[in-house]
Formats: sequence, C-alpha cells, structure tokens
Amino acid sequence: MIVAKLIDTSLCIGCKACEVACQEWNDQEFKPQPEFLGTYQTQPELSHNFWNLIKFNEIEQDNKMVAWNMSKYQCMHCADAGCMKACPAPGAIIRHANGTVDFVHDKCVGCGYCITGCPFDVPRLSPKDNKVYKCTLCSDRTAVGLEPACIKTCPTNCLTFGERDDLLFQAEARAKELQSDGHTSAGVYNPAGVGGTNVLYVLKDASKPEQYGLPKDPTIPWTVSLWKGPLKALGTMALAGGVLGAFFHYLKFGPQQEEAPDED
Amino acid sequence: MKIERFTFTERAVHWMTAISFVYAGLTGLALWSHKLYWIASVFGGGPATRFAHPWAGTVFAVVLGLMFRSWVSSMRLDAQDQVWLRKSLQYAMNDHHGVPDAGRFNAGQKMLFWTQAVAALVLFASGFVLWNPTWMPRAARLIAILVHPAAALVSITGIILHIYMGVFVVPKALHAMVRGEVTPGWARAHHRAWYAGLKGK
Ligand code: HEM
Ligand code: SF4
Ligand code: SF4
Repeated sequence: MIVAKLIDTSLCIGCKACEVACQEWNDQEFKPQPEFLGTYQTQPELSHNFWNLIKFNEIEQDNKMVAWNMSKYQCMHCADAGCMKACPAPGAIIRHANGTVDFVHDKCVGCGYCITGCPFDVPRLSPKDNKVYKCTLCSDRTAVGLEPACIKTCPTNCLTFGERDDLLFQAEARAKELQSDGHTSAGVYNPAGVGGTNVLYVLKDASKPEQYGLPKDPTIPWTVSLWKGPLKALGTMALAGGVLGAFFHYLKFGPQQEEAPDED
Repeated sequence: MKIERFTFTERAVHWMTAISFVYAGLTGLALWSHKLYWIASVFGGGPATRFAHPWAGTVFAVVLGLMFRSWVSSMRLDAQDQVWLRKSLQYAMNDHHGVPDAGRFNAGQKMLFWTQAVAALVLFASGFVLWNPTWMPRAARLIAILVHPAAALVSITGIILHIYMGVFVVPKALHAMVRGEVTPGWARAHHRAWYAGLKGK
C-alpha cells in the first residue's frame, strides 16, 4: 500500500502548527529567523534542520488586492525520484514499501548529488556532519501505524494522510467542489514528469502552480538522466574497451624492438 | 654509455602527477557507479573517499601545471607529426617503415599531453563546482555533473593506453622514466630525431 499526504491549500490558514510539530517530533533545535524577511513566513527556505516550510506566496490579483497562496513545502516523495537516481552510495537513499523516500545517514557520503538531482530542490547538506537531511514523511511514525506529525497537528483538516489512491479520489472531488464554487481552474497537483508524487495538493488555480511556490512541470533534469544513462554505458565501454584492446593488442603484436643497431 | 632522457625534476613531477591521478581517478570511479563502490573501502569508506577525491584532484591539477610548464616547449605538433599521426595505425602494428623519426616526444605522446592538459582544466573547473553544492548555483552543478565524468573518462582512457605503451609495448620506457637514462640504441629505435640532435651538439 502506497501512502500519501494530501494538502488542500484552500484550507491552510498559515498557522504553522505543522512546522512546530515537525521540529518537535524530529528533535530539531529552535531556529530563529536569519533576518527580518518582511513576511509572515518563518524561514526563507528549507534547511538541514528545518524540513517543512509554510510558504506565504504573495500574489497580486486582478483587482489589485494581494492574496496569500499558502503552501506547504517539503520532500514530495516522488515515484521517480531524482535524488535516488543521482546518489552514488548504495543504500543511502531507500524507498520503503509504502512509497516513502528516506535518507539513511550511515550510508550517505555527503556528495550532494541528490541536491542536484532533486527537481524540487529539497535535500540540504548539514554543515555539522556533512550528511543530507529532508522530510522523512515521519517514516518512524508511519511504521508503527501513526500518521505524520504535521497531519496530526493540523487544526483545519488542510492535511490528510492515508492510502494514496483514496486521497487522489478525495482530491479530485475537492477540486470539483472548488470549481463549482467559482474557482474554475482548481485542480490537483500530482506532477506526471516525476511519475506522480506521494504528496498531493489541491490548488485553487492548478494552471499556475508557481503561484504556490511549486514548479510547473518538474522532471528529473536531463543532464542527470544523460549522466546516469548513456554516459554511464559509454564510459563502461570506453574503460573496458581500453583494457581489453590493450590486452589483445599485446597478444597480436607484442612489444616493439628495444634497441636499433648502431649505423654510425 | 648512457644518455640522460629525463632529469630528476622531470621524473619527480611525472610520478607526483601519476600518483595523484590514480588517487583521484580511483576515488572518483568509486562514486561513478554502484558496481565500483567497493573501491571506496580501499580508501577508508564512502565519506573518506568523497573527502579525499577533490583534494587529490587539486594536487593533480597543480603538479600537472608544473609538468605542463616544463614540457610544453617540446610538445608543439609540427609537419612531421602530421605524417606520423596519419601513419599511427601502422605504428601501432609495429611496422615502422615510413613512420617519421620522432623527436624527444613522438606525435602520439604529444597528443596525450594535450588531451590531458585540456581534460585537467575541464576536470578542475567542473570538479570545483561539484566540491560543495552550497557554493555554486544549481545550473552550474547540472552541467558539471555531466562534464566532469565525461572529461574523466576521456582522461582515464588516455592513461590506460599510456600505461600500456610505457609498460608493455616500449621496452625500457618505464626504466627511462624511473632512472632517467637510456642507451643510444634505445634512443635510435624510439626517438631517432632526438638522438640525432643530441649527437649533433
Ligand atoms: C582537478 C580537480 C578535481 C576536483 C576538484 C574534483 C572534484 C570532484 C567532486 C567534488 C566530485 C563529486 C564526488 C566525488 O568526490 O567523487 C567528483 C567526482 C568524480 N571525479 Fe573528480 N575532481 C577533480 C579531478 C578529477 C580527476 C583528475 C579525475 C580522473 C582521473 C576525476 C574523476 C572523477 C570521477 C570519475 C567522478 C565521479 C563522477 C560521477 O559520479 O559521475 N576527478 N570530482
Ligand atoms: S522531492 Fe526531491 S528529495 Fe524528495 S523524493 Fe523527490 S527527488 Fe527525492
Ligand atoms: S549526499 Fe548522501 S544521500 Fe545525497 S547523493 Fe550523496 S551519498 Fe546520496
């Protein structure tokens, strides 16, 4: 059973209780704002000790009024995960049977390839131990049948946790409801470019996910695919070809003569 | 009678380049493929390998710079070298008829020199971008992640052939790079134009 988290942005009131719950459950230190940001947003972006950020996206509407498009930002637990594709250390990024993508810090070598491979720019390198950190979808809670800390704490039912197929159904139904309420381009954010995500969003305007701080058509970057696909095959052939070529060359032609006779 | 082929300084620089290259190459290859990850255990595990690689690479870039300075004047390709390159397949089959006499370095060695020089520049620039993901913008890292291993493969393949030539194909070439000296007969066989020049002096 694949589990997922549904974020109905239309119900988020920006209370940031989920941020606190995430910090608490994961034993993260208190993290003051680095500087005055001029917004209600807690932090400018995710960091190695801050995995769940409510973005206060300020959008100017047609009537010149500013709207807050609140959105929750964290690891998307992609079905086709760029971080996993890029990682050189076997076992450092794993996928649990329930679909959750998890970092295994004992195996991580700290190269940061996953940061480059992730289309959502989620993993962060810790300056303390040089390992990467991100949302675990509370795999230590879900493993024992609990829901993630952010879900547990959300006061408005903006967040729901459950079986992915059920949530997708629920999300579509909610999008229809919003459409009939006048939000004609309401829809579900479940980007196909990464094979779908285990974090689903209902957006009041699904045609412009950027207005919620989400990339429009995220895919694994083509340089990463080329690097881990054709280049790897080509490289293996070049190296093996060089060694084998030299070996058979020696069998066929052998060494050159060592000395030339004195002609003087 | 012995002829000096490489000075002590030249040999020291060559072997520092070689050792740092192999160190950088193996630690890099360990992270290139899951199938080669076992190499990391030889270098003290994954994190140690990841830590050592860019430093070994930097040492390599610096000593290669020294090598470049001392040899670049002997590495210019001339008209004779063009002919040599056209006959290189014949040369590879140990048939040296009509292959022009080589100077201090033959055209194949010169090509290797230039390939390594360019590859090292590319490796250093792209390797620096990958060194710490927080130093560089994402766009630069996305390019470096492709360019760095590509340059490494060109350079490693070149070195495989270089080692094969120096150790197996040309007898006593390794000795020349270790002890610095060759016999007149060897010089006539492999670098006749260079030998002629020395005799002329
Ligand atoms: C010149 C300075 C160099 C720097 C600063 C540098 C830096 C890096 C860094 C930071 C990485 C990422 C992960 C890792 O540490 O393995 C890397 C990967 C790599 N490097 Fe270098 N490097 C340099 C030179 C070299 C050289 C000379 C070689 C080859 C002989 C080489 C071969 C590789 C390979 C094969 C990889 C793995 C690429 C992949 O995972 O696809 N590097 N390098
Ligand atoms: S959002 Fe990034 S870190 Fe999370 S699973 Fe997808 S690629 Fe990996
Ligand atoms: S930083 Fe760690 S998890 Fe990320 S790609 Fe490198 S080894 Fe894998």
